[in-house]
Amino acid sequence: MANGVTKDATARGAMTHPDLHRLDDVNRDVLKMMGPPGKGWWALLGLAATGIGVFLVAWLGVQVPVGIGVSGLNGPVGWGVYITTFVFWVGIAHSGTLISAILFLFRAPWRQSIYRAAEAMTVFAVMTAGLFPLIHVGRLWHAYWLVPYPNARFLWPNFKSPLIWDVFAVTTYFTVSATFFFLGCIPDIAAARDRATGLRKKFYQVIALGWQGSDSQWHHFGKAYIFLAALATPLVLSVHSVVSWDFAMSIVPGWHTTIFAPYFVAGAIYSGVAMVITLVVPMRKIFGLEAYLTTKHFDAMAKLCLLTSMIVLYAYLSEFFLAWYSGEEVERTAFWNRLFGNYWWATWIMLVCNGMVPVMLWFKRVRHSIPALFVISIFVNIGMWFERYVIVVTSLHHEYEPFAWGMYRPSVVEMCILLGSFCWFGFWFLLFTRLLPPIAIQELKEVMPPPMRNKASGAHS
Amino acid sequence: MSRDLAERDDGIKRRDFLRVVGVTGAGATLTGCSTSEVEKLLPYVVADEEITPGVATWYTTVCGGCAAECGMWVRTREGRAVKVEGNPDHPVSEGGLCSRGHATLQHLYHPDRFHGPMIREGEVFRQGTWDEAEQLLAARITRARNPQNTTDGGRVMFIGGHMGPSMSRLVDEFVAALEGTRVDHDAISDAPLLEAARIAYGSNSLPRYDIGAARLLLSFGYDFVESGASPVEHGKGLSRMSAVNDETHTKGTFVFLGPRLSVTGLNADEWVPIRPGSEGAVALGMASAIAGPGGGGPYANLLQAYSPAIAAEAADVGVEAIEELARRFASESPSLALGPGSGAHHRNATAANLAVMILNDVAGNVGTTVHYDTAGAGGAAGASNGYAAIDQATTAMASGDVGVAIVHGTNPAYSLPAASGFREAFEQVPFKVAFASAMDETSALADLILPDRHFLESWGDSAPRPGVMAIQQPVMEAVPMFDSKQAGDALLAVSSRLGNDLGAATFYEYLQTQHRDFAGTTGSDFDEAWRQALRNGVVEFAAPASPTPQLRAPQTALTFNPPVLDGSGDLTLLVHPSARFGGGEFSNSPWLQELPDPVSKITWHSWLEMNPHTGEERGIRTGDIVTVESPHGSLDVPVWLYPGIREDAVALAMGGGHTAMGRYADGSGVNALDLLPAVAEQPSGALVTLATTVTVTNTGTGRRLATIEGSSDQHDRPIAPAVQLALLGEAAEEAEEEHGELMELQGVGGFVPVPAEGGAPGAFPLEGARHGEYADAHEGPRWAMAIDLDKCTGCSACVTACQAENNVPWVGEDQVVMGRDMNWIRIERYYEHVDATQAGDLDVRFLPMLCQHCGNAPCEPVCPVFATYHTPEGVNAQIYNRCVGTRYCANNCPYKVRVFNWYRYTDAVPEPLNWQWNPDVTVRDNGVMEKCSFCMQRIRDAENRAALEEGRPVRDGEVVPACEQSCPAEAIVFGNIRDPNARVTQVVASERTYRVLDELINTQPAVNYLKKVTFHEVVSEAH
Amino acid sequence: MSAGTGILASYEYLDSTVDAITGLRKAGFEVKAYAPYPDHHIEHALGYDQSPVRVWTLVGGLTGTATALAFTVWTSVDWPIVVGGKPIVSIPPYVIIMFELTVLFGALSTIIGLFVLSRLPNLKPSVIYDPEFTAGRYGVYVEADGARLDDARRILNDQEPIELREGQVAHA
Repeated sequence: MANGVTKDATARGAMTHPDLHRLDDVNRDVLKMMGPPGKGWWALLGLAATGIGVFLVAWLGVQVPVGIGVSGLNGPVGWGVYITTFVFWVGIAHSGTLISAILFLFRAPWRQSIYRAAEAMTVFAVMTAGLFPLIHVGRLWHAYWLVPYPNARFLWPNFKSPLIWDVFAVTTYFTVSATFFFLGCIPDIAAARDRATGLRKKFYQVIALGWQGSDSQWHHFGKAYIFLAALATPLVLSVHSVVSWDFAMSIVPGWHTTIFAPYFVAGAIYSGVAMVITLVVPMRKIFGLEAYLTTKHFDAMAKLCLLTSMIVLYAYLSEFFLAWYSGEEVERTAFWNRLFGNYWWATWIMLVCNGMVPVMLWFKRVRHSIPALFVISIFVNIGMWFERYVIVVTSLHHEYEPFAWGMYRPSVVEMCILLGSFCWFGFWFLLFTRLLPPIAIQELKEVMPPPMRNKASGAHS
Repeated sequence: MSRDLAERDDGIKRRDFLRVVGVTGAGATLTGCSTSEVEKLLPYVVADEEITPGVATWYTTVCGGCAAECGMWVRTREGRAVKVEGNPDHPVSEGGLCSRGHATLQHLYHPDRFHGPMIREGEVFRQGTWDEAEQLLAARITRARNPQNTTDGGRVMFIGGHMGPSMSRLVDEFVAALEGTRVDHDAISDAPLLEAARIAYGSNSLPRYDIGAARLLLSFGYDFVESGASPVEHGKGLSRMSAVNDETHTKGTFVFLGPRLSVTGLNADEWVPIRPGSEGAVALGMASAIAGPGGGGPYANLLQAYSPAIAAEAADVGVEAIEELARRFASESPSLALGPGSGAHHRNATAANLAVMILNDVAGNVGTTVHYDTAGAGGAAGASNGYAAIDQATTAMASGDVGVAIVHGTNPAYSLPAASGFREAFEQVPFKVAFASAMDETSALADLILPDRHFLESWGDSAPRPGVMAIQQPVMEAVPMFDSKQAGDALLAVSSRLGNDLGAATFYEYLQTQHRDFAGTTGSDFDEAWRQALRNGVVEFAAPASPTPQLRAPQTALTFNPPVLDGSGDLTLLVHPSARFGGGEFSNSPWLQELPDPVSKITWHSWLEMNPHTGEERGIRTGDIVTVESPHGSLDVPVWLYPGIREDAVALAMGGGHTAMGRYADGSGVNALDLLPAVAEQPSGALVTLATTVTVTNTGTGRRLATIEGSSDQHDRPIAPAVQLALLGEAAEEAEEEHGELMELQGVGGFVPVPAEGGAPGAFPLEGARHGEYADAHEGPRWAMAIDLDKCTGCSACVTACQAENNVPWVGEDQVVMGRDMNWIRIERYYEHVDATQAGDLDVRFLPMLCQHCGNAPCEPVCPVFATYHTPEGVNAQIYNRCVGTRYCANNCPYKVRVFNWYRYTDAVPEPLNWQWNPDVTVRDNGVMEKCSFCMQRIRDAENRAALEEGRPVRDGEVVPACEQSCPAEAIVFGNIRDPNARVTQVVASERTYRVLDELINTQPAVNYLKKVTFHEVVSEAH
Repeated sequence: MSAGTGILASYEYLDSTVDAITGLRKAGFEVKAYAPYPDHHIEHALGYDQSPVRVWTLVGGLTGTATALAFTVWTSVDWPIVVGGKPIVSIPPYVIIMFELTVLFGALSTIIGLFVLSRLPNLKPSVIYDPEFTAGRYGVYVEADGARLDDARRILNDQEPIELREGQVAHA
């Protein structure tokens, strides 16, 4: 019908910069980012590579040959920084698929320009998280026993063990996220292919899989994308639930609680969105993406942070309340020890960073100040790491048997591996910004007003 | 040298040897390997078909660890001793064995042993041959005794430690033949006790106590459970007298009077924290209260002088407390008073011992609970001279009239205060010889070291008490890599070189000639009797009856007042023998170094015990390193705050701070003797250990203690509850904690009740559990354990026994500091506080914590690879090879009994220490979880034996885990709880039975505990 | 089918593209369209309805569920081991495995479905193609020969294409 086209496009909530007039402006801006990198990029990449070196030496060079004893772990505290960091990265991995899939299904207007980066973050975060169970086990060379494969005695894994659930959840999550990520990339890779020259062109030709944007391709692509989104959405919620059950399924005071699944999922989204902000703010600056990442986008993400931060804070408080309300001495001691015991500092870092700092997001001025958001997001990242540290360590070091209580102090090796994991993540993300369109070209076009010959009257009747 | 090589060396002989012995269950037959004696023993050949390779062979012998001389069974595999255990037939130890006894095995295989005779050349030692060494010794003796020799001449002096009667006699003859002198020295001496017995009753042996028979037991600071004359025997006695009788609901009372609670004291029902050194006064005060005016025979006047009031004043306790105690001591007969022990050797120690004897006498305990052997010929036990003798020896050596000094089985250079000047004097002796199997502070000074054999490699005998004689036989060929020779043989060889015939070529011959007449046998009967003796490990015969002796007055005046202490410090220094190292002779054993001290739970290093209030006043916290300064020296040592010590005293254990003993002892801890003067108590001549006050100043530095103790407070959890004696019988009506039925979600059938009801210890699988093929587990045995906390003394023998049996590695001080100790069983020590109107308000609960083998084991379902699961026999099995090392099981274990191999700890075990490893138990790899297995290898062994014999089922008592076997207190019982007649089933039927944390988390453990029974009302009851 | 001529028209405007498609389809041509983004107007003009991809998703998902259930139960029964006093076969934990495999299989089969249906990866892209399609242009492609060729050319030209390319295409 008349003008149906234009109306429709705006109704889909185009949140793009007025400078964008023509569809191929998007290609121009986005593909420009994939041009030859500057010194800064190489410097960062070198830094990351060095970090990975340290990481590998600490892990495969020291810990594996010498023994897991090089960590600070001990009798009562069998899990420490490694598991903490595992959960942290799995959490980070969440917002990617969340922003991408859930917001896609809900047609959230602010999604298009950030979801690509978010998805990339997801994939790389899972790649990082996936390393930690391997780093953590005492006998790396036997870790493959957790995978169900027909061995000599036909002894299969114990499907009652939350750790096996983890194996399935994390691998599934990685596969689906990666697929989802790559699928969304294909048309944009094709776009890159059609601009690129020489070696890059060859490269893109291969991974574009011969995409041409023909009607049938778009047709099935659209549907497949929706179904993947539909599958990924419950997956997002399930993965961190399963991770939370690693703890909740045990009988450890401080772990054994039904609130963990929603609590962890909220926390994951919280930390994930924060990490997106942390990553996107510099990208925006460096590549001059103000046209695509407007304050509206950040405002929306800030609101999501605010919401999840409140859920998380609620979870904290209800845990403390219920520990007291239960009247169970063991439970009470555990949570009292959390607040005022040997690890009080970790708990208070957690409470301040996750519970108090985000309160500032209530104010529009804060939500609209990019620097402020950046700082807050850093706080949240720190706070969320400590949240996992608090859960893992404070619960274990004071358990049922008082005589076996003990203290845990992370070792240098653990610290190297912790920092190394950030370098590992950063390395992949840096490559991503140069090799793949960091912003979804075709979806931006979707939300732009399509070019019309007869602007006045409708196109066709 | 590799074990293969070792086997090649003596393979043939070993085969003969196995033919000689064969297997007749425990306590098989005969004797040591390929010493030349084997041929003599060949007549007792057992037919070949009875020999089963790979099956353990057991020998009886005598523990050479200390003067107690407990009976021992030694388990050997392929001719190698792998485990020592108590001999149940031995009247002294009755099957018990202490930690130190177990650890003697490590000294047998100790890498620090000498590989051959060591001859000093300048500053260093050169390894020589025995011929050379004996030649040299003979030559030097001749030279020294040459009257013309004025440069390095002088008499021969023999400084000996504890040794069996025959060896002692041989030494006497050896010395006599050379017109030399012999001096005995033990690190810990019972001289004051001995002297007191001599004064009071003319007895020349230590009094013997029948602790088990007493109804009221008083210990004046005598640590008889961990040190003292016979720890195993006395510990057993304590648990027998103080354990509640579940039928009559009665139990004996144990009162501890002393400034510091030792392990012994921690078992007391009441603690009267008397001032250090006031034991004598208190004993006399009580005696006078009992004897009344004119009572007390020759001591009537003395008792008049010491009224309870005076005693109370001296002891700094209420007079009514003393009178009350005296009244009960008289009424609740038979009673028994012990002590004061070696921990309280002050300047009036003999008097104090005498006072306690008087107390026993007036209460009429002599002849009932305490016996004095006045018939002479006392046993060798503890009959050691005091410090006075060695002091004279020192003077003699210093004055240069000693030409050759021979040291055997003692280490005075370490166990005497520096002020004694022994070291300097000894160094002046022209020629110094040491019989020692490994280096120690004294041997390090010697010119010639003759490597002695370990008692498990050599012959000997013991007479722990009149009427008891046991032969110590070699249980294996001497460890091949150490070219050793037992001192007896060496002495005989040397004296024959010197032309003195002592009537035997070898010590074995000498030993037999010594016992030619025992059991009144001769000729061929002798051989039979000898073989019997070796097989049973002990010979008992009618002891010369000694009439109940009469109390005698002392010839010399004694002062019973509290002693004068050196220095003007505000804290009294208590130096006591270590529960792990004794006087320091055991310090080089990694097992004992890593064994948590029964009191402080600290491993490896030394610590200073200080009362929390004292610490508070001075701003000293646990872990602070303080400088302890006495007029005689000063030490830096970390503090451990301990409510079991008086506020005006601090305590330091002996046994630390070795400088030349070996890789595990050196540099670990401090030597408490450095703070002591070299004073001999009169008249006994014992070294005074309670001698000085000290000042304690905080250095401002600190350290993390290598302790296994997390919190000593139960936090009101149902872990180690107790029940008041008065409530026994009514306990049944105790209201069960009310909580609704537990439900769980099933795939089929929604929410169904958790199988928790009928959680009888025997019930596995529980009613309603859907275990498929495991259903037939209902028929098989269900292994379970019962531990009576009213018997457990916390002595920790089980810990070392378990370590020896299961190849549990030691991890070292740093690892323990990190919280990585590997012991499969730990003795938890919780404080409860009783109503503070009582003097000592401590109520201590010991709890041996091992894998509980839960029916609903939390560790099992969380393992992703089924590395731990439940066997049909109800045992929580751990499959090391399957373990990936996620450590989830340890996190989820509420009892925290799972230990992880953070490194490949066994790599740190040097040759030949690893020869001790039990071939029936695998050595665990890096990165795997491990834990108590209920000694699965022993269960299988018993099952196999039963199957071999007419395929019968295992009988009750056939499976005995290492911990139960060695427990001197008989607190542990193991068996099939499905068998209604099994001991474990009977014991568990007690109303005191409970299972740790079970009601809280429904774990259904297979280990059942019996509550400790207290006299006082149980405050802050843990559910 | 025999050889023919392929005509590719590149348009700058959406409405002209849509009109061209409608016109061609009215005239009974088989039309193929290109766009820089999925545009439902074009799809509408081409008369698409539901994509069969959803069947792939459904079947894949159900396969996953069934596989997980069968596998977990079989492995438990195949070698029954009691852990923590729990039933040998306890469904609740297995539900998690079932969920995960449902998603995994569903996702993978969706992708496979997509590739099969839209012929990806496409090793030999169609000869006549304008790289501007991935940037800003729309394209309409039609094959014809003889007289019909002129009709097609006329209909495409009515909408003022930026350029019009023709080339021989052979069909196997």
